[in-house]
Amino acid sequence: MPSEVASPGAGVVKAEPADPSPGPEPVAPDRERGSLLRRRAGPIALVIFVVVFLIPVIGVLLTSLKTNAEIARRGIWSATGNLTIDNYLDVWRNANTGRYLINSLQVTGPAVAISIIGGTLIGYTVAKLRIRGSGFILLVVLSGLFVPPQVLLVPLFTIFGDLGLLDTLWPMIIVHSAVGLSITSLVMRNFFDQIPDSLRSAARIDGANEGQVLVKVMLPLARPAIAALATLQFTFIWNDFLYPLVFTTDDDVRTIMLGLLAAQGQFTVAFGNQAALAVIASIPTVLVFLAFQRHFIRGLLAGAIKG
Amino acid sequence: MTSTTRWAILFLAAPLALFVGAVAIPTVMALQLSFTDATLLGDAANWIGLENFRDAFSDEHVRKSIRITLLWTLGGFLIPPALGLGVATMLQNNSRFAVIMKSALFVPIVMSLVVVGQVWIWIYEPGDGLLNRILGGVGLGGLEQAWLANRSTAFYAVFIAWAWQQTVLAMILYLAGLATIPTALIEAAQTDGAGRFQVFRQVTVPLLRPVTTVVLSLIAINSLRNFDLVYAMTRGGPVRETETMPILVYRVLFREFERGRASAISIILFAMTLVIIGGLTWWGRRRSHAV
Repeated sequence: MPSEVASPGAGVVKAEPADPSPGPEPVAPDRERGSLLRRRAGPIALVIFVVVFLIPVIGVLLTSLKTNAEIARRGIWSATGNLTIDNYLDVWRNANTGRYLINSLQVTGPAVAISIIGGTLIGYTVAKLRIRGSGFILLVVLSGLFVPPQVLLVPLFTIFGDLGLLDTLWPMIIVHSAVGLSITSLVMRNFFDQIPDSLRSAARIDGANEGQVLVKVMLPLARPAIAALATLQFTFIWNDFLYPLVFTTDDDVRTIMLGLLAAQGQFTVAFGNQAALAVIASIPTVLVFLAFQRHFIRGLLAGAIKG
Repeated sequence: MTSTTRWAILFLAAPLALFVGAVAIPTVMALQLSFTDATLLGDAANWIGLENFRDAFSDEHVRKSIRITLLWTLGGFLIPPALGLGVATMLQNNSRFAVIMKSALFVPIVMSLVVVGQVWIWIYEPGDGLLNRILGGVGLGGLEQAWLANRSTAFYAVFIAWAWQQTVLAMILYLAGLATIPTALIEAAQTDGAGRFQVFRQVTVPLLRPVTTVVLSLIAINSLRNFDLVYAMTRGGPVRETETMPILVYRVLFREFERGRASAISIILFAMTLVIIGGLTWWGRRRSHAV
């Protein structure tokens, strides 16, 4: 089997593997003569499928817009007439929502940046500078892909405890930055592998040192790969709650996902408010996804192939 | 030392130090701890050899947890890839309509498992959950129950919520895979008189085998790491019926305070991951040579 097929999107440079080339027009001539209903049947079935499949998403959205009184009276899943944004105002004013969001940003921002900078350095060095031991270094870093987080938790809980870092944001920043290096190094290595060596040697002959080659020649080229990793890592780190669950107990250092989880545990927090908080927690990842969908999918594909 | 080597060391020093400090060394420490009776309470730890592992394999809870985790992975291999491929073939054109449908369908992949868990809890609510309402509505009210509290349904209930999200992952990867299949191949098969289903079975599916390997690997990793959704929905209950290995490690560490045992179980999970991923990689390579 040809390798291009074997690894879809093996190269983040390759033009959009996620965009299918226009397939054969599904409407055959003899079908065109069929009734309007028959021609519309496929798309209608598809719309019905999509709506049914997305019931969980629609459910959260609708619940967040219902008054708690109405939910109490007629249930979460009742069709409702009056929509309101009261739950959102309520959650914003009464819970520690703003704090949670800022905490999540303070973890996600640095961890995304550090893991991508680190992965770029490792990937570039392994792919282009090829010093002795490159293969071994890559193997060690990639093996991180298969280490279950629970393996790390047991020792890290004690280490962070000894360092006095529990109940701060540091454990999450450190662990996500480090764990993320596996995927970012893999994707960047695959990317730089496809950049011709001549580009580097030409810049070197022009008098640029290795640092300048990386920053001025390679980084601009790597923008698509970096964008793909950024969307992927952002989603992954923003959504995580295992590490904050283990490393924090104080409400002031909770991330938004942990805040949401804590709200679920409290029977005093009404369903409408829980739903509103869930929507608020999801907005950043959904927006990033809708804005950078192609990058996100490229990231998934680029990370999916074996190193 | 050449200047290239000096630059390489400069580039690698900080990121490698971070990786070694926060991933490599803790992994080795976990392995070490698994041979001790260390606790979280600060007593001195003694080297006890393989006792944690022997205990683990004879402990009914650990064995049950291994079974649950493997069953979960197996279900993950069967259901999300099949559904994802099915939906992907329906969406395989680039009309404006299909693009909008795709964007909408992709949304669950970026939802946090806390949010996924929360809404599926509402679907399974014993009182007025969506599932019970539907069953009541179509005259199957007799089947209504507390899906997450019932020992015989809880596993399947949580699994379905998880499979719902993983289906989107499989769909995204298959859509990209389908796009790499040359239309000429499909047309040639059709000219030879193959029906739609035949083309699908004998041309499309074999050509997608490498993508399938990728899909199965990601699903294996996700199911072996399955902590978030189970924690959000059942915490491993009722009566440990949904206690996956990651949940069990968390429980042994933070409820039973046994660091040594928790490490041993996490190492068993690590070994299971390596065996399953190794097996899949081997299967993928073998198959792609055969084609």
